[in-house]
Amino acid sequence: MSSERPSRTSLACVAIAAVCVTAAELLFKRGADATANLPAAQSLLGISVLASGWTWLGIIAYIASFLAWLYVLKRMPLHLAFSLMSVSQVLVPLSAWWLLGESLSLHRWAGIGLVLAGIMVIARPAMQSEEKL
Amino acid sequence: MNATILVTAVVSQLCLVSGQLFIKHAMNATNETPVPWKRVAPRFALGIGSLSAWFFLWGGLLQRAELSWLFPFEGLSPVLIVLGAAVFLKEKLTLRSGIGIALISAGVALVSAS
Repeated sequence: MSSERPSRTSLACVAIAAVCVTAAELLFKRGADATANLPAAQSLLGISVLASGWTWLGIIAYIASFLAWLYVLKRMPLHLAFSLMSVSQVLVPLSAWWLLGESLSLHRWAGIGLVLAGIMVIARPAMQSEEKL
Repeated sequence: MNATILVTAVVSQLCLVSGQLFIKHAMNATNETPVPWKRVAPRFALGIGSLSAWFFLWGGLLQRAELSWLFPFEGLSPVLIVLGAAVFLKEKLTLRSGIGIALISAGVALVSAS
């Protein structure tokens, strides 16, 4: 049964899902860059990305994320779980900045701060209730 | 920014949101005993179908734009998920989760605007 107050295990699974989806996004981007010059890349559908091994690694990371996500969905309301997964909104730009050399402006840093604050507001009751046990 | 890319980004997010709603609908049914697989399987298949459409549209977009520019379009999805979960799954929002979601959406909007 899903509960409004997330448990610590559910929060840990959200974190695992977010890290795996971040890895998947970075690997998909690598795969997309590696296949951008193929003739089939002119199509709006990105099927040509499957020609890269990076994309397949990304698919494996995405499947791992999906399995953790199914665990979370069975135990938490979708609106809450999906909002907590917004931590990937922080992890992806940070990783793209760190690993892919993409730029990160002051506005983006402020946005990242707000996303983290929102996640803390939602996750804090779970952390407090389980600390008391 | 090209209009086709913008529209494709929005459509890809709609596919993502509908996929999540179908899968949550399927997972809710797995809490019943015995598990009603005849109801779970089609919901799950529709969810996987929508997420597959999102995956290929997203892959096409990644070939055309920087990841950190494109990724904030996924910021549309938390708002659409809250609405979809309230309308289709009858989920209720508490004040605390509402505040948290508002902060997250504002943060994502700020990231998108930069």
